[in-house]
Amino acid sequence: MSMLFKTHYRLARASIKQNRTRSFLTCLGIAIGIASIVLILSLTGSISSLIKGEVKEIGADLVVVRPSRSKDTVTSFVEELTMANTFEKSSLSLVDVSSISSVEGVTAVAPIAISTNTLKNEDNVIPSATIMGTTPDFNVIEPLALKYGVFLNDKNTDSAVVIGHNLALHLYKSSNPIGRTLSFLGQRFIVVGVLDEIEEGVNFDNVDFNNVLFMDINTMQSLMESIQIQQINVRILNTSILEPVANNIEKTLKENRFGDTNFSVAYGDAIAHPASNLLNIISGMLALVAGVSLVVGGIGVMNIMLVSVAERTHEIGIRKAVGASAHNIMMQFMFEALILSGLGCILGIFLGYLLAFLVSVFTPFSPFISWEIIAITFVTTIAVGILFGTYPALKAATKKPIESLRHYQ
Amino acid sequence: MDDNVVIKLTGLTKRFGYGDTTSFALKDFDLEVKRGEFIMIMGPSGCGKTTLLNIIGLLDRPTEGEYILNGEDVSDISSSRQARLRARKIGFIFQDFNLIQNLTVIENVALPLVYVNRPRTVRLKAASNALGRFHLSEKEYYRPSQLSGGQKQRVAIARAIVSDPEIILADEPTGNLDSRSSNIVMDELKAIHEEGNTIIMVTHNPALTVYATRVINMLDGQIHTDVKTVEDHDLPRPIAAKTRKRFNRRALKKGRFNVDAF
Repeated sequence: MSMLFKTHYRLARASIKQNRTRSFLTCLGIAIGIASIVLILSLTGSISSLIKGEVKEIGADLVVVRPSRSKDTVTSFVEELTMANTFEKSSLSLVDVSSISSVEGVTAVAPIAISTNTLKNEDNVIPSATIMGTTPDFNVIEPLALKYGVFLNDKNTDSAVVIGHNLALHLYKSSNPIGRTLSFLGQRFIVVGVLDEIEEGVNFDNVDFNNVLFMDINTMQSLMESIQIQQINVRILNTSILEPVANNIEKTLKENRFGDTNFSVAYGDAIAHPASNLLNIISGMLALVAGVSLVVGGIGVMNIMLVSVAERTHEIGIRKAVGASAHNIMMQFMFEALILSGLGCILGIFLGYLLAFLVSVFTPFSPFISWEIIAITFVTTIAVGILFGTYPALKAATKKPIESLRHYQ
Repeated sequence: MDDNVVIKLTGLTKRFGYGDTTSFALKDFDLEVKRGEFIMIMGPSGCGKTTLLNIIGLLDRPTEGEYILNGEDVSDISSSRQARLRARKIGFIFQDFNLIQNLTVIENVALPLVYVNRPRTVRLKAASNALGRFHLSEKEYYRPSQLSGGQKQRVAIARAIVSDPEIILADEPTGNLDSRSSNIVMDELKAIHEEGNTIIMVTHNPALTVYATRVINMLDGQIHTDVKTVEDHDLPRPIAAKTRKRFNRRALKKGRFNVDAF
């Protein structure tokens, strides 16, 4: 059997070499599909690895509570695609924040509420700045380097704000606007701190800290009447009790909400999971498009294999006459299809990473290479090869020897 | 059953079409072929010669009747079993040579051995020996398109005998050749016949019947005349494989490849 494998391999190689251009173009079809899958996986992989790195840096003693159940099924993902989730009311409230605080083992709780509003000062107007309401605990859980001034604390909650580096530059044309004022929704605030510039554009809070304005969440609520809590970050005493405390939080929340489970509690790597709903949607769409291009590539393989079978009808007849069984012929053409798509896959992986490196030049992402991505692409390619190689191979195998021999040479 | 009978056909019928359009390629055809016979089948076009050859060669199936090959009933076996028997027991020689154009001469000759699972080195060695017999050693790595018609047909004969089959079937092997090449090819066939091989050949050329031990004339899918020119007990005995190997080894040493030389 292995002997025949070798022979089939040699035959396929010879046949592919003989039709270089045709084979290359067929491979290219597969390669483009694989390259787009590699590109998407490596970029989304880089985002979640960035977040995982960040979580690791902050500490493994972190629990994150998010509104609505975690999206890990296909149906909920599709729901996500079709519903305008962003405008839905968050299921988390300040009541939940205080019930989490009461759980044993919890040392700090920071809710995050995000809103967009127009900021004004004497000179400038920023029409849609990100405003983030939180508590002083935020700095305990996730210490942000301050360039100037201080973070929010219990004494300055009413009128103090802390702003990001870029926002400071836009509003004041200066990186040190400590003590200066700004206003929104008709109220004046004093800038008490400015964040240091942050390199990475991605974090598990899903906020761009360079362009954000921090304020106290209670002040924010009194100002806006209703706020949307995106997530609640919780720091606990130490890593060893991470799991039981997380379970306790879930239990307490469920009890206090009279059995409502429309929230999720994540810790460890799971925190990075819903990095961004929008990102998930976009990468899902892209993966679909890539899948379509892979199908197109597969049809290319099928097409070329059908041509190859038609061209070699006479050869098939000869092979059958000297003793090849239908199975032998089938394997011969199957091998050819698989080698074509395999070559396409290798080409595609190179192409995909090349593109990912190019993208990384212009974005904060760094291409993420893992054996999983390579395994996924290989398995997909083999599946495509089998799917689109079977029909031509069957067609070759079922040819009648006498008729094939009569076929023109 | 007589040990020497290789092929036994009883009541073989091949029908094409249905109802009013039915036509018979073979009609209630009986034939017994003994080991070592060189049978020539003649007859007008459309009398069923090629169909008969295809059925004997397990490329086609009879509509009715029994076909016993080497004591085994093969009239109703699976197509994969047919393929296996073709690989081991049958060698084909065609009018238009039927060599694979993009394989070298030696690979073409080695082709039947691929399907009986011989390692590559064994295949190439056997093919090289077979080609040596037909004085084609220098052409081993040529492509079929670089050979003359006579050479192509000798390559095809080498391919037919490489796996040491029970029967060799030739469908007008000289049909595309000039008379000189025809004679060379016929001499080669005669040589392998004298080694004890069973050959069934279809031809249109009455001059070639001098090579045969039995001449069958067919008409409308049936035997018209059947003449034996050599008695059964005078048919060449198959040379035992061991002896043949020794012959070939000695021949190789002396630089001669034809078993006839001895």
